[in-house]
Amino acid sequence: MGDLRKPSGIFFVILGITLTAYSFTGARAPLTDYNLNLFTGLVMLGFGGTLLWLAQRAS
Amino acid sequence: MQLALVDKLILALYFAFVLGIGWIVKRKVKTSDDFLTSGHSIPTWIASLAFLAANLGAQEVIGMAASGAKYGVMTAHFYWVGAVPAMIFLGVFMMPFYYGSRARSVPEYLKLRFDEKTRGLNAMTFAVMTIFSSGISMYALGRLFELVLGWDFTASVLLSAAIVLAYTYLGGLTSAIYNEVLQFFLIVLGFSPLAIVATIKAGGWQGISQRLPAVMTHSWSYVGKASENPMGVEIFGLFAGLGFVLSFGYWCTDFLVIQRAMAASSMAAGRRVPLIAAFPKMLMPFIVILPGIAALALTQTAGSGYTLPAKGGSYDYDVALTTLMAQFYPSGLLGVGLTALMASFMSGMAGNVTAFNTVFTFDIYQSYINKGAPDAHYLRVARITTIVGVLLSIATAYLAQSFNNIMDFLQLVFGFVNAPLFGTFLLGMFWRRATGHGAFTGLLSGTLAAAATHGLTVAEGKGGWLGTVVHIFPSTMAQNFWIAIVAWTTCVVVTTVVSLATNAKSSGELKGLVYGLTEIPHDAVAWYKRPVPLAIIVGAALIILNLLFW
Repeated sequence: MGDLRKPSGIFFVILGITLTAYSFTGARAPLTDYNLNLFTGLVMLGFGGTLLWLAQRAS
Repeated sequence: MQLALVDKLILALYFAFVLGIGWIVKRKVKTSDDFLTSGHSIPTWIASLAFLAANLGAQEVIGMAASGAKYGVMTAHFYWVGAVPAMIFLGVFMMPFYYGSRARSVPEYLKLRFDEKTRGLNAMTFAVMTIFSSGISMYALGRLFELVLGWDFTASVLLSAAIVLAYTYLGGLTSAIYNEVLQFFLIVLGFSPLAIVATIKAGGWQGISQRLPAVMTHSWSYVGKASENPMGVEIFGLFAGLGFVLSFGYWCTDFLVIQRAMAASSMAAGRRVPLIAAFPKMLMPFIVILPGIAALALTQTAGSGYTLPAKGGSYDYDVALTTLMAQFYPSGLLGVGLTALMASFMSGMAGNVTAFNTVFTFDIYQSYINKGAPDAHYLRVARITTIVGVLLSIATAYLAQSFNNIMDFLQLVFGFVNAPLFGTFLLGMFWRRATGHGAFTGLLSGTLAAAATHGLTVAEGKGGWLGTVVHIFPSTMAQNFWIAIVAWTTCVVVTTVVSLATNAKSSGELKGLVYGLTEIPHDAVAWYKRPVPLAIIVGAALIILNLLFW
């Protein structure tokens, strides 16, 4: 199989985009004041992007 | 807890990816070796994360959060005294024998080092344990999703089993390992936000320290006496029971984790696997234990809005993680958290199934049932065994549903088997005089001694089934530690005595299997990639962590 960083990277980029987009719906948890979806979505987007960049660099 | 459409989409996305990985890997599987050992071709960083993830089942994630709420930061001893030192020992001292012997499994190493009967005993007990372990993982998943989401128990069990079966059947060990890495990332990224927001809500570590008794926020200050800490263990039991016998017994001999290190591409890479894995492992308490401690602190803070549910005059610690998720995660992230939980169940289950099919195919079928068949036949048997393993796991999940104490019982049996096994390995790898008869009788005696100790002692109403109680332990954890110590000691003493009375193998037969007769190749890699410097760095980081939370 090819580089595992590619499918993992794609997975987290999709997850990141989903969470970031969903954060604009204003969904909040009972005890959280922050926009957790936005923060976590951006982190996942960054993580997925890094994995893809590393895979690209290796190939 | 209600799931929104986005949560269900995230869960579906995850299922699609794990199945996709299995489908892609399938094309590379041509032989039984590819299917069962990954053809020793897995990159080190992947093997390292899989090494961790195979152990990171949901019982670990949920159980450690529960223990964090119940015992406080002392729970981190499972990592900082238990797992990490054992991983260092495995990487520096034991991997050269596992890898150098070219054995395909831990039982096969026992056959090469000792004899057929020792391998047979280990293969049988391991096969049974992995099936039960996988089944209990499934049972826990079914129960959790039934309680938290209102999903049907059978539907949850069958859905998770079908997905694990699909990707392990398609791609074997490689597929399981690749998915375990994805699962590891998901577990870390899915649970880290919970640890962060719950800790912030509880006032940070300083706020938690002010709200909870000091014994809950110090790992070493209260281990002088068993009566002074919530675990009910004293320093000798902690070091010898958990730090030495139980942890080394699991991390250094359990084929479920060793299999991941053995899948690495070279002996040097295989030795690095547990050492690299030790870095994230020592930080896992911040993700899995800290939320539990924060949950207790929030419960004891008036007006925090969060309370651990009560159970039998105390708290229901087992639901610490899921109740925190319900209160702190909005839709979207809730889907990620539940997917991470599902991922942890599946990685644990797949780890057990792939270890089971390897041991059954190589150590039982090929050794006792059908020797010398073509490789294609063994590949077919391995695939069928994967299906049988999953079906047996499902049956075990229903068995666990019928008996309310089966999980405690199996946890205990795990200790009965792994503790003496570590004694056998220690003597086998470092004492060339140890013999097959010695190993076999030592293993059996150690297991019987463990059972006798449990039967003659009581802790929290458990044990004492032999009728006479010779000692009462303050906690089941203390009882388990001492059972392990007795089992290991008995195994070592009996193996030594019987070995001295029987004939040992010649030095030629032990080449590559025993310390002093095994050539360990010099690693022509940068200093920081060599096992000993890596081990020193891991050890130093571990000491710093222990001092920070003293």
